Amino acid sequence: MDANTIIDSLSGQFPDDIYDTDVESGIRILAKVKPENVVEVCRYLKEELSFDHLGCEFGVDYPDRNEIEVVYLISSYDHPVVLTLKAILPRDNPEIESVVPVYWNANWYERETYELLGVKYINHPDLRQLVLPKEMLGEWPLRKDYKGFPNKTAKNLV
Amino acid sequence: MLEEKVGPSEMIVHIGPQHPMLPGPFRLNARLRGETVVDSEVEMGWIHKGIEKILENKTYLQGITIVDRICYLAALSNEEAYVGCVEKLAGIEVPERSQYIRVIVEELSRLQSHLLGMGEYASFVGFVSMFMYTIKEREDVLSLLDSITGARITHSFLRFGGVKDDIPPGFRDDVKRVFPNVRKAIDSYEDMYSTDSIYRARTVGVGVLTADVAKDLGVSGPPLRATGVPFDIRKDEPYLVYEDLDFKVCTETAGDVYARIQVRLDEMRESMYIIEQCLDQMPEGPLFAEDTPYGKRSPVMRIPAGEVYHRVEDPRGEMGFYMVSDGSDKPYRVKIRGPVYPTLQTLPPLLKGVKVADIVAIAGSMDTCTSEVDR
Amino acid sequence: MELPEILFNPLVRGILGLCLMGAIFLGAMAAVWFERKLSADIQQRYGPMRVGPHGVFQLVADAIKLFTKEDIIPKNADRLLFVAAPILLMGSVFLMLVAIPFGAVVINGDTYPIAATEMDISILYIEAMSSISIVGIFMVAYSANNKYSLLGAFRNFARMIGYEVPLGICVVSVAIMAGSLNIVQIAEAQSPLWFVVLQPLGFIVFVIALLADMGRLPFDQNESEEELIAGWITEYTGMRFGLGFFAEYIHLILGSMLIVLLFLGGWNLPEFLTSNLILGIILPTAFFLGKVVLVMLGIIALRWAVPRFRIDQVVDLSWKRLLPLSLLNLGWVIALGLLGV
Repeated sequence: MDANTIIDSLSGQFPDDIYDTDVESGIRILAKVKPENVVEVCRYLKEELSFDHLGCEFGVDYPDRNEIEVVYLISSYDHPVVLTLKAILPRDNPEIESVVPVYWNANWYERETYELLGVKYINHPDLRQLVLPKEMLGEWPLRKDYKGFPNKTAKNLV
Repeated sequence: MLEEKVGPSEMIVHIGPQHPMLPGPFRLNARLRGETVVDSEVEMGWIHKGIEKILENKTYLQGITIVDRICYLAALSNEEAYVGCVEKLAGIEVPERSQYIRVIVEELSRLQSHLLGMGEYASFVGFVSMFMYTIKEREDVLSLLDSITGARITHSFLRFGGVKDDIPPGFRDDVKRVFPNVRKAIDSYEDMYSTDSIYRARTVGVGVLTADVAKDLGVSGPPLRATGVPFDIRKDEPYLVYEDLDFKVCTETAGDVYARIQVRLDEMRESMYIIEQCLDQMPEGPLFAEDTPYGKRSPVMRIPAGEVYHRVEDPRGEMGFYMVSDGSDKPYRVKIRGPVYPTLQTLPPLLKGVKVADIVAIAGSMDTCTSEVDR
Repeated sequence: MELPEILFNPLVRGILGLCLMGAIFLGAMAAVWFERKLSADIQQRYGPMRVGPHGVFQLVADAIKLFTKEDIIPKNADRLLFVAAPILLMGSVFLMLVAIPFGAVVINGDTYPIAATEMDISILYIEAMSSISIVGIFMVAYSANNKYSLLGAFRNFARMIGYEVPLGICVVSVAIMAGSLNIVQIAEAQSPLWFVVLQPLGFIVFVIALLADMGRLPFDQNESEEELIAGWITEYTGMRFGLGFFAEYIHLILGSMLIVLLFLGGWNLPEFLTSNLILGIILPTAFFLGKVVLVMLGIIALRWAVPRFRIDQVVDLSWKRLLPLSLLNLGWVIALGLLGV
C-alpha cells in the first residue's frame, strides 16, 4: 500500500471533498478536506485503507489569512504512511463535526483544541475543559492575539 | 460529571492530586460500591506549563532546553523529535558518528527509564525492596550518561546537525564494567517476578487489553506490544542508523500487567545489545558536517518555511512533533504529541469492575508520566 | 517454695507493674529499631546511624517528636470515639500481657514461671483479649470521618473475621495435645519434644493466621500506603498516632511469644543445664527470650521480602484453604491422642 495508490483511491472516492493533495515522500502525504464531510472521509480511511491510528488532532491559527486550520495526523499500525488531513475553518466562527464516532481517542484532543483555540465540535460527547482551569474558558490562549502572554497566563493565581 | 450519578450504597473517592504513590499529579475520581469500582473519570491539568505557547516565542536553539522538560525522565527522545523536525525542514545532514552517538545516549536513556518504571511498579504492589534494587542499578547507568552528556536528567545534549560533545576516552571500559552487572540484575528480577506466587496472583490476568481494543483506543508503546501487535517506530520508519542495527521487537500475547512488565524487561536487554553494536560499528569522523552554517556556533538562524511531522520511539510509546515554520527565527506553531496522552485516556474503560487495590496496579503498569500529558 | 510476704503488698505490686510496663515499652522500641535496621540491611542501605551508636536512641528521639506535635481532631469527627479508640487498642494489648509468662526460674527442680497471673484458662483469655483490638481499629477508622479510613476499616473486618476461626482451631488442637488450657502447662508439656514436630501442619496454619491477625505484610491491606495513604490511622497525629503505632509493635512481640510458647518449646531445657542454681535462674529465661527474638526477626524480614495480597485474595485464602487445613490438623491431633501419644 504505497503513497500514490492511497491518494488516488482517496481522490477517486471523494472527488468534491478532497482537494490540494500532495505526495511529499514515500511515507508522507497531504490532503485538504472540506469541513462538512470530515466524518465520512475518516470512516473511509479507517475501514477501506486501514488507517486505524489517529496520531493527533490540533489547530493552527492564521490571523492574517483569517482562518483556523484543523489538522488530523492519521497513520496506520500496518504500514508506515502518515496522512496529514487539513480542514480550513473561518476564524470568527470555527465549527466542525467531531470524529469521535470513528476514532475513539479523538475525545481528549478535541477538548484541548476547543479550550485552547475556540473550535467548537458538534456532536462531541463531553465538550468541556481539560488542561486549563475552568475560569479561563473563553480566552482561547493559543490564538496569536491573546493579550495576557507572557506576563499573565492563568487568571486565578494566588 | 460523576457526582450526579451516585447510587444508594456507593461512594466517591478522589484518588487525588496529592497522593504518596501516584505517578504525577492527576486526579482519578472513582465511584465505588464497597471495594469494586463502578465508574471512574480522569482529570488533569495541574502542571500545565504552556510549552507550546512558550516555544512560539523562543528561538530554535533556546527551544532545546525547553523541550527537555516535557518528560524529564526520558529527555533525549524529546530532544531527538524536536531536532529531527528542524533538520528535516532545513535539510541539514548529520554525519554518521553523531548519529551513532545519538543512538547510544537514547538507548541509555531508555534503559534507565525502564529500570525506574519497573521498580516504581513493584512498589505499587507492596514490594518496596525491589524499588531499592532497581534504583541501585540505575545509578550506574546514570553515571554513564553523566560522563557523556554532563547531566543526569534534562541533558540538552543534541544540536542541529550533530551532538554537543564526543564520547569520553574511558567509555568503552566503563560499559564493559557496568553492563554485566546490569544483565545479571535483570535476570534476577525476571526470576523473582516469575516465581513469586503473590506477585503473580496480583498481576496475571489483571487489566487485560486485547489487540483490537488496544488499537481502537489508540495505545502505543509497551502496552500495545504486550498484546501482540509488533508496532515499533524504530523498525517501521527508521530514523538515525537503526536500519543498520540488528535488534528484535519484543512482544507478548497475554496483554495483562505481567506481560507489560515482561516486555519492558526484554526491551532492556535489547537496548544493551544495541549499545554494544554501536560501540563496535562506530566510525571515526567529525561531529558536525563540513562548512555548515548551522551547529553550535550560530545561535540565531532562520529555517525555511514549511511543515513537517517527525516521530520517534520514546520509552513509553510514539512521540511526535509537528512543526510549522514561516521563515523567521522562531517557530510558528509546534504541536507535541506525547505518548502517554492516549494511554491515560484509556483508564476509565479499563477500570470498570476492578477492586480498589488494582487501580494503582493498572495505572502504574501503563508507566504514566503526567508531566508530558499536561505539557 | 512460698513467695515472700512482701510481694503481696499492693504498693510493691504497683511498682513492679509499672516496671513491667516500662520494660514492655522499651521492648517495643527495640522491636522498631530492629525493623528499621533489618529492612535497611535487606535494601542495601544503612538505616538510622546518627542518634547514638548505630542509631540506638533514634526511637527516643521519635518519641520526643511525637509528644511535641500538635493534637488535631477533625471538625466532623466523632470526638468520643476518636479519643477512646487508641485507649482501647492499648488496653487490649495490656490485657493480653497480664497472662503471658515472660520466662521461668528453675530452683531445685521446680519451675516458677514469671507471669503476672496464672489462670487455668489463660490461652482462651489471651485469644479473647486479642479480638478486642478489632473493635478498636474499627473505632479508629470510623470516627475519623475519612473515606480512606473507612475503606481500611472494611478490609480490616473482612480479614479479621476470616482468620480468627483457623487461629482458634489451632489453639484448641494444641490444648488437646497438652491436656490443659493453662499456657504454663502447655509450655511445660513440650519437655522432650516440641509441638512443632508433632503437628507441623498446625504450626504453619497458626503462623499464617497469626500474621493476618497482627496485620503484618503480606496482610496489611488496611494500612497499605499505596492505595489508602495511611489507611485506618490517616487522621491521627502526635501521641495518639504513637499509641496506635506502639500497640502494633507490642502485639508483634506478644505474637512471637505465643508462637514460641505454643509450638517451639517455651523455656524447656534438659535437666543437666538447670541443676546449678545460678544457671537455673538465668538460662531458661534467656533461652526463651532468644527464641522470641529470632521469631520476631523472621516476621520482620518477611515484610520486606514479599508483595501484598489483594483483599479478596486474603478472604479467599482464609475460608477456602486455611479452614480445611486447620480442621485436618484437629483430626490428626485427635487420632494421635487416641493412639496414646
